[in-house]
Amino acid sequence: MRYAEWCIAAPTLEADIAAAAMGLDDIGHSRVLYGSLRELGTADVPDEPGSYANVPYLDRPWTDWTAFVAANGVLDSAFTLMIEGLAGCTVEVLRSRLKKMLQEERYHAMHGRSWMRESRAAADAEQARRDAIVWIGPEGGDVDDLHQKGILSLGVRDIRRRLDAQVPAAPASPAIDWKAWDPVRRRISPGGIDELTLGMLQGLAEKRYMPAGA
Amino acid sequence: MGFVRVHADVQEYEVFARKTRLEPLRQVGAVVAPDDELAMAYARATYDEERWVEMMIVPKAAVIQLWAPGEAEA
Repeated sequence: MRYAEWCIAAPTLEADIAAAAMGLDDIGHSRVLYGSLRELGTADVPDEPGSYANVPYLDRPWTDWTAFVAANGVLDSAFTLMIEGLAGCTVEVLRSRLKKMLQEERYHAMHGRSWMRESRAAADAEQARRDAIVWIGPEGGDVDDLHQKGILSLGVRDIRRRLDAQVPAAPASPAIDWKAWDPVRRRISPGGIDELTLGMLQGLAEKRYMPAGA
Repeated sequence: MGFVRVHADVQEYEVFARKTRLEPLRQVGAVVAPDDELAMAYARATYDEERWVEMMIVPKAAVIQLWAPGEAEA
């Protein structure tokens, strides 16, 4: 949804179209992932503000194109690395469905890399990298556990190393204190997505326009 | 032809695609970008609405023109 917010606000018409296309791709990817989770027996979580497991970087709309660029170049790459880890795993339902997702993400990575080379996005990239590292989780945590069981083909160190190789422009941030890490929401800082976006995600904005009693 | 937009130095790329292996590639449009990677991302985002079996881009500067409209070979 954050990509979609830039589909008429990016610096060029081509970037507007790319923002819309990448937003649509990622909505499709979410549908595939949620569908796969359901098939694998994961229970639905209540649709409440506190249950959204988004990275803090997505809590608020981005006010500058550099924030978009850093999300595209760093966060999207981190998510793709996790998808790569799942696509190479032993769970058939994931192996078969994630290939198209990775093909589409290849173009997101190209878009992000190119804009990262041109934009002054270092501060945003540092925040995005930090949120990505926190989202991947601590060494010896659940990701490494899944890696050892063969469910993920990459462990935490592999994902971090590949992320830094793919986006060298993203500077390393200070050490992370994992004591406050929430393993469900995969974040350290409290808070959550803004009210307006939450209303759209939950269909509340849509209900305002429905006839009474519908 | 040179373009100046957000990027300091960009070039035009022609986009070619086809829907079946039997039909020839045809030009479906053009994009403007500072490098090949962004040009590929833009071409895919802009022209991927149809079910192409193949898509490629070519820097317009790499195209060698034999003659232009109005300059037909004698």
